[in-house]
Amino acid sequence: MKSFEYGDGEIGSREILYAVSSVVIGVGIFTLPRTVGSATMGSDGWVSILLGGLVALLFAWIVAKLASRFPRQTFLEYTATLVSRPVAIVLTLLLAIHLMQFTAYEMRVVANISKIYLFDRTPVEVIGLLFLLVVVYAVANSSVGLLRLNLLFLPIVLFAAILLLLMNIGYFEPENLKPVFSTKWTGYIQGAKETVFAFLGFEILLIYIAMANQPEKVPKAAVIGMSIPILLYSFVFIMVVGVFGRTAMIQLVDPTIEIAKEVEVPGQFFERFESLFFTIWIMTIFNTASLSFGASVIAIRSVFPKIKRIWLVFILTPIIYLSGMAPPNLIRNFEVGTWIGYSGVVFAMLIPAILLGIAKVRGIKGNA
Amino acid sequence: MFRMLGRQLTKKQNQLETTEDTHGFPIEIFSDIEKNINNIRKILESPSDLTTRIFTIGNTEHRCAIVCIDGLVDSRLVNDKIIKNIQLGITSSKKSVPSSAEDILTELENGVLSSGEIKKANTLDDVMLAVLSGDTALFIQGTDQVILIGSKGWATRSVDEPNTEALVRGPRDGFTENLRTNTTHIRRHIRDPNLRFETFTVGRRSKKDLVLTYIDGIANPDMVGEVKRRIKTIDLDDVPESGFIEQWIEDSFLSPFPTLSPTERPDKVSAAITQGKVGILLDGTPFALIAPITFGNLLQSPEDYYERWWVGTFLRVLRYLGAFLAVFLPGLYISLVSYHPGMIPSKLAFSIAAAREGVPFPAVIEALLMITVLELLREAGIRLPKPIGQTIGIVGGLVIGEAAVSAGIVSPVMVIVVALTAICSFAVPSYSLAITFRILIYGMMFLAAGFGLFGLILGYIMINIHMVNLKSFGIPYSTPFAPSFYADWKDLIIRAPIMMLGKRPIMMQVDDEERMRKGGKS
Repeated sequence: MKSFEYGDGEIGSREILYAVSSVVIGVGIFTLPRTVGSATMGSDGWVSILLGGLVALLFAWIVAKLASRFPRQTFLEYTATLVSRPVAIVLTLLLAIHLMQFTAYEMRVVANISKIYLFDRTPVEVIGLLFLLVVVYAVANSSVGLLRLNLLFLPIVLFAAILLLLMNIGYFEPENLKPVFSTKWTGYIQGAKETVFAFLGFEILLIYIAMANQPEKVPKAAVIGMSIPILLYSFVFIMVVGVFGRTAMIQLVDPTIEIAKEVEVPGQFFERFESLFFTIWIMTIFNTASLSFGASVIAIRSVFPKIKRIWLVFILTPIIYLSGMAPPNLIRNFEVGTWIGYSGVVFAMLIPAILLGIAKVRGIKGNA
Repeated sequence: MFRMLGRQLTKKQNQLETTEDTHGFPIEIFSDIEKNINNIRKILESPSDLTTRIFTIGNTEHRCAIVCIDGLVDSRLVNDKIIKNIQLGITSSKKSVPSSAEDILTELENGVLSSGEIKKANTLDDVMLAVLSGDTALFIQGTDQVILIGSKGWATRSVDEPNTEALVRGPRDGFTENLRTNTTHIRRHIRDPNLRFETFTVGRRSKKDLVLTYIDGIANPDMVGEVKRRIKTIDLDDVPESGFIEQWIEDSFLSPFPTLSPTERPDKVSAAITQGKVGILLDGTPFALIAPITFGNLLQSPEDYYERWWVGTFLRVLRYLGAFLAVFLPGLYISLVSYHPGMIPSKLAFSIAAAREGVPFPAVIEALLMITVLELLREAGIRLPKPIGQTIGIVGGLVIGEAAVSAGIVSPVMVIVVALTAICSFAVPSYSLAITFRILIYGMMFLAAGFGLFGLILGYIMINIHMVNLKSFGIPYSTPFAPSFYADWKDLIIRAPIMMLGKRPIMMQVDDEERMRKGGKS
């Protein structure tokens, strides 16, 4: 039944905005200060973050521009009109696999960090499974529901992040920021490369824009959605450097959670803010994982429309779980993360740019 | 049993002198009144409350009969306005006395019967339904037309203050079991000619009246159509309470959340239908239903609007906090005590640990025990006669709590947590939502016991997943949070000043959006 226009499978540009922010804000923020800090000197990392952010912003715009050029068409459909159907099918399936790997990686990181900061006796496998099952519950329901969850969770997550920044002001030492602008340009580039990895995830727009009811507004929404994590990450980086100093920061595995540890809640209402912070952060990691899982389900179903959504979810879940649990330790998992970063660059930047180029040159447009 | 039924049916078939419908009931009305009365007697098997009376009309030769059910009719009306008028009426009029039965019928209908509600019927089925709902049937010798006179008047409860939804400030009248009284309440609130009351009959056997009320021109016609469609699918023997309607037409029977809101307050129904919702009133119950509803609606109380907006806003914020704690507080306690004692400030942690010294159970068993005792107390409190109810509150709450603490079964902190949870769940204005929360508490306690804060946040996420996918008559349950309609947020967690609530909720997609003119009348 369909009594209300907004009750059905369509989303507005606001959902796109929140989805971009939610999918990008994820586990990347925990390690970002370390990876960027190792590449740059002093507090110069923020330049790298902005630089990498601008690149991500540009490509998010390209992705949105490409997908909104073909309103209400799936990734498979418009890719098929641009580069023949067989190629489109291969691309769609590869994208789906990439998104599944992304989901698996997020699950593994959540499990690892939960084990460190929340409980030490429960095995990683159980924590990961529980998290994945909740993701499965969300994905098994409607795609619109997935996008709407962002609207509910992102404000809470941003509030927690701002709280984290505000409560650390007391420990902020401007001395730690020095020296400024002492990095070589290669360092900035190296840092920016690390940053770009943290800003990936917006490739889900390739899939979800097909549901947008006002595609012409989507590029703007994507750009605004992208700038939220860029600003947030920059502030977090500066705060982490200011609190720890670069030398200490690059020794910590998850510096962002460590600054939450420093916080003392006024009035000593409760202690160990990092547990609370991480708990709230699970919401946005959940969003990242569920959006990418959901997108891969939609992608695969566009190739095999006969498979029921729920069955597909049940088939993919064990694959995701096993590939997420495959890396034997933290180091190997970070390597996997790097590889997912590379494939993210391919799917979020390279392919959309090429496709948009083809569309522009050949003047192909979807029938709006 | 079946054979007996069969025998009775054959008995009936032998005795009744007419064509029959599929149920074995006669359908035809004869011009002979005695035959008709005998038929009715036989269908009902002459119950003690069936009143039949045959008498002559005025000083004519014609005979007529009235049939009604004693107790369902207003006997003063039947005696004074029907029997007396028929006996005296035609004689007193100066016109010539009509001779044919049809003429007498017309004369009675137009000139004699002083009752506002008169219908004609010519099948026994219609007559029976009318008589059984409290009308009086008038048979006239020589015609197969029957006059049905509205004479409903049975003992009803007077209009009381609603028990379950008491307010400090606001109208004191509540719905009663009488459908007509209830529709009157709404008419008295809204004197709009576009106010619609659409009547349906539900229940195969009980044949109860159900009234769907909305304002034409405000309510979204598609939504109203959907509600009607669902009401028409209702196929039950009896519909004793609107809860049956709710369960039959709700969107998801698996969901713990209510998607229709029951209420006893006419002002609440009126306010809802001016926002573009529909109300469903059922005969025989004081509980009306409001649909569609969202989660935000369930945390609103009419009083928010009656008090000044600062007060309304404060109470709303308080209620959201209460709703959160009502679900998560025991879970939070369990996860903090069992998994993250480091998060509790050290001084408090010491005193909790000291209080838990000697308690033989882990926190989760302790919490389950106390919450279950609390639920038992609540359930027992409802059953108990009112004077004893208070006693049990004191005995249960104070004595058992105190004794359990001094016996070392539970810690005093746990008693505080459970008491706070109970208070918070009473702060939720909707009883059906509060019950939902009481069920969810258990789920959250188990998640917290197994996985601490991680389990709790996953529980929170799952509740949210459920809410964005649940719909109430096409509206996502999480509206206007998600999908977000920021204009509707003026009347969500905060309650903006009345002058600023100029538009009806956007989420209802109403036909007439303006509720008032900005700045009032010029």
